[in-house]
Amino acid sequence: MTELAFLSPGAARADDGLTPRQASPLARALAGSSGIRDLSLLGKIELRGEDPPALVDAIRITPDRALLLCEPERCAELLETLPGFAVDMTGALAGIELQDEALMRRLTDLDLSRLPAVGKVAGVPAIVAPRYRIFFAQEVGHSVVETVRDLQQGLA
Amino acid sequence: MRLPPQPDELLDRSHEVVFFFRGEPVRAFAGDTIGSALFASGRRVFSRSFKYHRPRGLVCCSGGCPNCMLTVDGTPNVRSCVEPVRDGAVVEPQNVLGSLDRDLLSVVDKVGRPFTPVGFYYRTMIRPRRLWPLYEKVLRNVAGLGRIDKHRGRTTRYDAEHRRVDVLVIGGGRSGLKAARAAAGRGESVLLVDENARRFGAEPFEIVAPGRALGIYEGGLVPIDAGRLLLRVRAGRIVVATGAVEQPLVFPGNDLVGVMLPDGARRLIRDFAVKPGERAVVLAADDRALAVVEDLARAGVETVASIDLREHDPSEISAEGRRGRLHAVSIEGVPHECDLLLAAGAPQPAYSLLAQAGARISYDADRGIFVPSELPEGVEAVGRVAGDLGRLRPTRACHGDGGFVCLCEDVAVKDLERALAEGFDSIELAKRYTTVTMGPCQGRMCHLPSIRIYAHAQGTDEAAIGTTTARPPWAPVKLGLLAGRTHEPAKLTAIHHRHEELGADIIWTGAWRRPHSYGDAPAEAKNVHDAVGVIDVSTLGKLLVAGPDAVEFLERLYPNRYADLKPGRVRYGVLSTDAGRIMDDGTVARLDDERFYVTTTSTGADSVLGWFEWWNAVWQLDVEIVNLTGALAALNVAGPQARELLAGLTATDLAAGGFKYLDAKEGRVAGVPCLMLRIGFVGELGYELHFASPYGEYLWDVLLERAAKPFGLEAQRILRLEKQHIIVGQDTDSESNVLDANMTWIAKLDKDDFVGKWAIEHAQERGPRELLVGFVMANGTVPAEGGQVVRDGRPSGRVTSARWSERVGKAIGLAWLPPDLAEEDATFEIRVNGRLEQARVRLRPFFDPAGERLKS
Amino acid sequence: MTRRPRGAPSLRELTDYVYFRNNVAGVQREWWQHRFGCELWFLADRDTRTNEVLRVEVPGAAEVKAPTA
Repeated sequence: MTELAFLSPGAARADDGLTPRQASPLARALAGSSGIRDLSLLGKIELRGEDPPALVDAIRITPDRALLLCEPERCAELLETLPGFAVDMTGALAGIELQDEALMRRLTDLDLSRLPAVGKVAGVPAIVAPRYRIFFAQEVGHSVVETVRDLQQGLA
Repeated sequence: MRLPPQPDELLDRSHEVVFFFRGEPVRAFAGDTIGSALFASGRRVFSRSFKYHRPRGLVCCSGGCPNCMLTVDGTPNVRSCVEPVRDGAVVEPQNVLGSLDRDLLSVVDKVGRPFTPVGFYYRTMIRPRRLWPLYEKVLRNVAGLGRIDKHRGRTTRYDAEHRRVDVLVIGGGRSGLKAARAAAGRGESVLLVDENARRFGAEPFEIVAPGRALGIYEGGLVPIDAGRLLLRVRAGRIVVATGAVEQPLVFPGNDLVGVMLPDGARRLIRDFAVKPGERAVVLAADDRALAVVEDLARAGVETVASIDLREHDPSEISAEGRRGRLHAVSIEGVPHECDLLLAAGAPQPAYSLLAQAGARISYDADRGIFVPSELPEGVEAVGRVAGDLGRLRPTRACHGDGGFVCLCEDVAVKDLERALAEGFDSIELAKRYTTVTMGPCQGRMCHLPSIRIYAHAQGTDEAAIGTTTARPPWAPVKLGLLAGRTHEPAKLTAIHHRHEELGADIIWTGAWRRPHSYGDAPAEAKNVHDAVGVIDVSTLGKLLVAGPDAVEFLERLYPNRYADLKPGRVRYGVLSTDAGRIMDDGTVARLDDERFYVTTTSTGADSVLGWFEWWNAVWQLDVEIVNLTGALAALNVAGPQARELLAGLTATDLAAGGFKYLDAKEGRVAGVPCLMLRIGFVGELGYELHFASPYGEYLWDVLLERAAKPFGLEAQRILRLEKQHIIVGQDTDSESNVLDANMTWIAKLDKDDFVGKWAIEHAQERGPRELLVGFVMANGTVPAEGGQVVRDGRPSGRVTSARWSERVGKAIGLAWLPPDLAEEDATFEIRVNGRLEQARVRLRPFFDPAGERLKS
Repeated sequence: MTRRPRGAPSLRELTDYVYFRNNVAGVQREWWQHRFGCELWFLADRDTRTNEVLRVEVPGAAEVKAPTA
């Protein structure tokens, strides 16, 4: 599906002297931090159907839902070619990447030896992929990063 | 007195540690506990008891009883007998007025006892009631444990960590270590915890000591108090090796300083090379306890008498003391001079965790102890807790007439007898009435003795009395540890930081942070009427409903009709529950044949999403529901100049004929693809732009550069009230239905079926009990929201919204009124600040009732 | 199991359905949602006395027995 362009950050164009500028919802919360990589601007597509295609970079969330990560520029092309139901969730989800296992054990109860998994991380619903990429609703992104940074201090 | 080096002592004599007790330095060795070091320096009185301020000394030396509790570096109730010494630690007594050796409050014991029997607080200090604050103040200062340092509580950091292991072993004694080594040998991941800071050798598994298991919960979850860290452990298997606790005997004088448990004396000698006394009497009921006689001999203590209670259980024991310190024991009339009495009945397995896990606790009458059995799957008991205790025999409930049962709460035998006489005959009632077992030891020292006494007093046996229910936490735990780090996940829109930068007054609406105003709400509202304003409505719930059955889905869920909604058009909708109540409202825009874009209220988004998903799970229609709430930011651009402003940013035809009121178009604004909805919550010409949230700040900046002025929630409330647009949850509550809320046109009762149809039909038959109408105030007073409508001196309605409107020039509002009052121009009265003010019903919007500005 | 009325229930039948539930000491069929995760709605047959889940069904999918973990 190529319509619903209003969902896709990748579909914006320069227009009449104005150049659309994307901002990560985590930019301010991450200022001055270390050990946390911002994945918010990655392209993300949610696939639904009986058997979402077993694509290499797809994270299986439920038997009939998967999250596909890609470069933001490729979203439009993928949306057109992917079979079944696909929605651009690039703007919906913020994401971070952490390396520290001890930090993860303070953030979540999920079994870290059985990833990917979906459950509560830093008090919010999240998708966790190895090792460790975490995706959550962008509107709680600021809070999540604040929590992560607070727990980093506890480990220091 | 310090003994020469003992073979297994925990001391490192090459390393001296100095701490302070009441300001005076105390010398100790590394490996000492504060209790052992104080005892070695000559201290015998460690605390004053909870209620009677009786002098108390060391008893168990293993962190079980309350006698050694001191305040260390500001932390109250520290078990000094297991607390490792630290250089510079400041140690103080607690619950004394004066000193430990001369506590002025011991007057309570000397003269106050007749006035303070068990349960005295249920019968006294009732009148006069105005003295309650005084009673409370006196009691708090006279009885109690340590004092909390509130500043420390606020500044101490506690964290929590999750762990998963194959095997959790609780208890690092012989059996626990054996089980842990065996599991590790099999390649399992093992965590062993022990409640005391002990020295362990190198082991092939992780050890946390001190670590107190607080309880066993479903799913193999065991929270462990590790000081500043709460470990939430999930274990495949739990091995409980918590051992058994020597039980004190009950006899007159059994709380004198110098009366100890045999194991306590053994630890002083073996672990800390401390001589516990000069002349000792030993009374014990198991082999291990009796063997303390050998330790005493090695330490140079003279044992003047030793009795194996399994062979002979004396009918009378009486300990005598001077100023609270033991100096003799009389056994069946035969006196023995001594300064140390080691007395214990059979050791009781520490079964609490097992009981919490669901094990059966039953009384073994032959051995005189309660033992666990029928353990649930995944839980094992090993060692002494499982009953592996050698030869035992039950001992008497009391040895003589008198004595203390519960050292923590100062409960004497007489108190239990009185409770029984007053009718509290079950052990659960006895516990609650006398508070026995409810102190810091949580029954470790007194549960079994209290059961024995009750059985004896009622002429029955311990099995008939039973045990009280074991509950977590198994040991006292700081609330701060359980609270941990508090993080309140706030929801922020993608444009939030612009509001902060503009100095907006930010408030909570549900979990969202939103701007209430930018400093002058009436001015913001005026700007929307006269020019153009912009408000961040990104918090709206947004759902995509797509698929061949999308229309059917919406038709079944909404009272409205959507089957006839054309692509490119928007319609306001109200969701109803099965009980016919208003659940939420929003807009539904049809994008094409099979795709609808649904908005909800900001705080209702989560429940509407759940509602939609649940109904689809039930109906299994061919429709996908996608939550786009965070995916899209939304800005509402409103005011007579809105068209002009946007025309410069988009190629989409915005002319009145080209983009009509309630149209929905996809286009581009400033290069960003948008869904544009021409709707009008605030009653002026307006376009709501929905677009990918990463462009939130960008598009906001573009609009402000082109002279749109921001307006916040307060201005929005004024504007919408001028149009009598309701806010679900503000103007409606959980009882309101669409008919009464002045939206009869919403419910299309000719539809086959929709959720709430049955209830709305019943409501229609019954007729309304109250109706929602607009009103203006006669004299400009603005009533409070929630203010009462008064009729004939009785409340008969309420105000749900009220504001002063500059544009209308009146105080306006919405209220629920009885149907006979709900007619144009009817007058009624509202109570405002204690006076009745007059109001007049207005059934049409106060401003632009024909909606000309909205539809221009 | 609670059953939704069919047709046009009387006010009494409707009120019963909306407000009253049997307090079952035994196995009960319940709707559950993985609210902090994938948002999936499913049915579980749970024994209210022991909290044991005997059966799980995802509407629309093949039947899945309760996992032992």
